[in-house]
Amino acid sequence: MTKAKIKKDHLKLIFDRLKTSHRIIGPKVEGNVIVLAEIADLRDIPAGCKEQQGRGTYRLGKNSSQLSVASSQIFSFSVGPDSFKRFMSPPVRENFAFKKSKKGISISQNSSQVREISTAFIGMRACDIAALRLLDKVFLEGPVKDAGYDSLRRNSLIVGINCLYPGDNCFCSSMDTGPVIRDGFDMAVTELDDSFLLEIGTVRGREILNGLPIDEVSDKDLSEKVSKIEKCKKMIKKSIKVSELPWLIYRNLEHPRWADVAGRCLACGNCTQVCPTCFCNSSYDNLQLSGISKKLPELSGARIRTWDSCFSTNFARVHGGNFRPSRRARYRQWMSHKLAYWIDQFGSPGCVGCGRCITWCPVGIDITQELEALHAR
Amino acid sequence: MHDKSIPFEATIRWIKKETRDTATYALKINSREIQRTYTFKPGQFNMLYIPGIGEAPISISSSPTDHEIMHTIRIAGDVTTYISRLNAGDVIGVRGPFGSNWPLEEIEDRDLMIIAGGVGIAPLRSVIRHILMSGRRKKPTSRAPIGRKFILYGAKTPKDMIFRDEFPRYMDAFQVFLTVDKADPEEYWRGEVGLITGLLNKVSFNPLNTVVFMCGPEVMMQGMTKEMILRGVPGEKIFISMERNMNCGMGVCGHCMFGPKFVCKDGPVFRFTDIEGFLGIKEI
Repeated sequence: MTKAKIKKDHLKLIFDRLKTSHRIIGPKVEGNVIVLAEIADLRDIPAGCKEQQGRGTYRLGKNSSQLSVASSQIFSFSVGPDSFKRFMSPPVRENFAFKKSKKGISISQNSSQVREISTAFIGMRACDIAALRLLDKVFLEGPVKDAGYDSLRRNSLIVGINCLYPGDNCFCSSMDTGPVIRDGFDMAVTELDDSFLLEIGTVRGREILNGLPIDEVSDKDLSEKVSKIEKCKKMIKKSIKVSELPWLIYRNLEHPRWADVAGRCLACGNCTQVCPTCFCNSSYDNLQLSGISKKLPELSGARIRTWDSCFSTNFARVHGGNFRPSRRARYRQWMSHKLAYWIDQFGSPGCVGCGRCITWCPVGIDITQELEALHAR
Repeated sequence: MHDKSIPFEATIRWIKKETRDTATYALKINSREIQRTYTFKPGQFNMLYIPGIGEAPISISSSPTDHEIMHTIRIAGDVTTYISRLNAGDVIGVRGPFGSNWPLEEIEDRDLMIIAGGVGIAPLRSVIRHILMSGRRKKPTSRAPIGRKFILYGAKTPKDMIFRDEFPRYMDAFQVFLTVDKADPEEYWRGEVGLITGLLNKVSFNPLNTVVFMCGPEVMMQGMTKEMILRGVPGEKIFISMERNMNCGMGVCGHCMFGPKFVCKDGPVFRFTDIEGFLGIKEI
């Protein structure tokens, strides 16, 4: 069994089954934005919501006729600012705790960072799953395996949703990462008109369905899925020509457009925080005030790793100088890394076409347009 | 293998002051188990860690055949300032070794030119000591490289010259050429005064048969590489050691990126032709 079908009302059965053994993370409305958070009830999912996304804008509303979404749809919305990144490589993480005394230093690894609770991620999109696979390359396939990421990754169950209604800034079809989920899932769900089509990716995904009332999948269901995905692809407005990468950027590292975008960019780093593949981080020592005393131990604290951004002023700072003081260089670093360097480093572009950086840029800089502008001489 | 994401303890065995702002620290790893698994190659670096202050990437200035791990450190930032106040017997944290190494296999039957500026001689001392020691060994299997060897070294003033007391020993195996930006009038100085590129006129070498190992300020390395290529040294035979903001050492923090390269993981030692396209670009 690799495919199954369930009635729309029976989605709750799957949810309840997952809930017995997993912490469930899924889409939820918080502060008028769809974020990813722990959800206790299936009703937390913003069924039928549709957001309007533009360059630097995001408006959440109930789906209306002008958005051309079928009224019975539950997963009519697309991606918000959150992605897997927040959970697999948390924004703040403890590397180790230390104590320093006259006798020396002692370093202990905090066991609490290794969460053994299984987490089920429901409603993940094709772009997010593609991004997760990119993060795997960074954190697991380098010279040293990131143990914290590894354990969080192992304890996760991924229930993906095939996008049928793209966001306004999406361009996954041109990055070849979506809208249909091809691999990297435990279960992939397609919302058909009157039922859910379930594709099983792993044994763990199959186990969820044990004993649940499932129906046979007909050819008609499969062709309905294909036609819905094709319709979705047609609705995607933005695109990037991947065949031009990385050379379009390598040839244009001194293009006047970098100075132009630097005039608009605030170097706030929003794009790097919402990007599902931006992985840069910084480690620093967090000292406990109580730890500094004249008695032993002289000093105690923890080494903390936090997300950082190549837009931070001091990101490339070394003693006596900064390699990237200008905003022009920092924007260039970000975009060149995403669309060019990444190909050399990990074999594919670091962009999955989710469009988050366009939506959440306070001044509405559009990466697809900035790339296009490099063509101009 | 020991976990490279967690520092291990090492004790400072002795400290040798090299110049007014630079000293060499010899470290011994406290844990026996890590002592056994810890091996490095010339050119690699360690992250030195002072709890409560932070980490700094410092290249290893000893040879793998030395009994201690040595670091030659110039006072530059918070961590190095703190280290400069430590004494023999103090304990610091160490992670490593990280990065690429000088390709010793390239020099076997070729001439070697070592070019260093300022504290950039530290990672090259690892190669120098390695060659000096392998030359002394009697075993025919580990014979010393047979080509001619040169050291070209430039510093600000004679007083800023690191390892000055060791140069007479280096002359056993190397022809040594020294230059300073400015000679001290109070001190007797027999070497040259001026840019390090000027030293090339004094050296008679066969460019087609020469391998270059270089470390120093980026401007110096750019100028010197240009000069070497003009003289006919193939770009593939020039190796340079880069400096960037290394934070994790494992290619997961992104700070040290230089074009598509992670300096901590793909470098610090690069073949010139692999990074040629990015060297001249400002703020890359």
